[in-house]
Amino acid sequence: MAGSPEDGEDLLQEIFLQAYRKLGSFKGDSAIGTWLYRLALNHCLDYVRSRQAKMHKLTDTLDGDASFEPTARRETPIARLDLERAVERLPQGCREAFVLHDIEGFDHKEVGKLLGIAEGTSKSQVFKARMKLRALLRGIA
Amino acid sequence: MHPNDSALHDYVDGTIGTQGRSSVEQHLSTCPSCRQVVEDLREIACAIGTLELREPTARVWGRIERAIALERDAHRSGENVAPGLQPSDDGRGPVTAGHHRRMGKTTWLALAAALLLVTMVGLRFMPGRGQAGTPPTTGETTSAGDAAQAIESELRLAETHYEKAIKGLEQIASSDQGALDPKTAATLQKNLAVIDQAISESRAAVRAEPTNEPAQQSLIENFKSKMGLLQDTVALINEMRKGNEAGAARIVSGLKQKG
Repeated sequence: MAGSPEDGEDLLQEIFLQAYRKLGSFKGDSAIGTWLYRLALNHCLDYVRSRQAKMHKLTDTLDGDASFEPTARRETPIARLDLERAVERLPQGCREAFVLHDIEGFDHKEVGKLLGIAEGTSKSQVFKARMKLRALLRGIA
Repeated sequence: MHPNDSALHDYVDGTIGTQGRSSVEQHLSTCPSCRQVVEDLREIACAIGTLELREPTARVWGRIERAIALERDAHRSGENVAPGLQPSDDGRGPVTAGHHRRMGKTTWLALAAALLLVTMVGLRFMPGRGQAGTPPTTGETTSAGDAAQAIESELRLAETHYEKAIKGLEQIASSDQGALDPKTAATLQKNLAVIDQAISESRAAVRAEPTNEPAQQSLIENFKSKMGLLQDTVALINEMRKGNEAGAARIVSGLKQKG
């Protein structure tokens, strides 16, 4: 969700620092793993939103993906590396919903709640992300 | 007429109703284009299932460990600061009324980082993480020789970092002369001498036989002991700088027990 491994590492550090700072406020209402996961997720979402705000715009086109050349073509299975690269290139708006739904396994209702969007919007964002992935991976523009 | 996107995705996800499914299937039987979309979406879903969890590297964990340690130390040095021990105007750290010592916070943080670095380097030597301690099999003699060389080289690297940490401590100690009473300083020196002797012996054993696992473990343990003592020393100086006599007494008591 961070967009790149390097950003992910920075985020991980910030998450653990924040967990360290907030550990005193952990009341034991849930398992510590759940608490940490929720904290991490919220931090990631804040990060993504703040980056979106900084960019001032969110293009839903594939203009920026012109350089992406999948190593696997239609007749070969999708290479894991290609998939990772393609996910990184998804527009942020639909990447959030896609990661939470298709990778993390949340249902659309939960994704909607987490992202502050309607359930239907979560569905349409996930569908959009899948179609963009298909276009990226199969070279279908 | 093609089914809408939602119907196709729901069909792939298996969340479409019975009626919708038969309708989509009927369409797919006659539409190669939609069939291809469904096949592609299924393949993508299958590929997503193969994505592996990306584990952070040891370097990242080390960085996080250092960041938390720095935060903890910054927090500690900022709390319970009595009037007269407030940070100086130049932001370089608290000034004690009695000694007018100026110790930049960055110095303390750098030391903490250096000590942690020693911990990390020490952890790299945990037997079983590399070739160390694994008896060579036939045909592996050369690689065993390489492993011994690698271990020796890593040990030297560890020593370099270790010496840096000690040097940092010595700098603090020399700029804080008089902070420790002679009796405490003598206890520290005595303990340090004992640990140094043990380090020297285990180091000699490792040098003589680089793949000797007990010797490696002994060296690691001695490094840890010295690091613990250095940390206690830093904590003690820190407590004395803050004027926290009770805290200093607790640390001194611990030092005596260890001695």
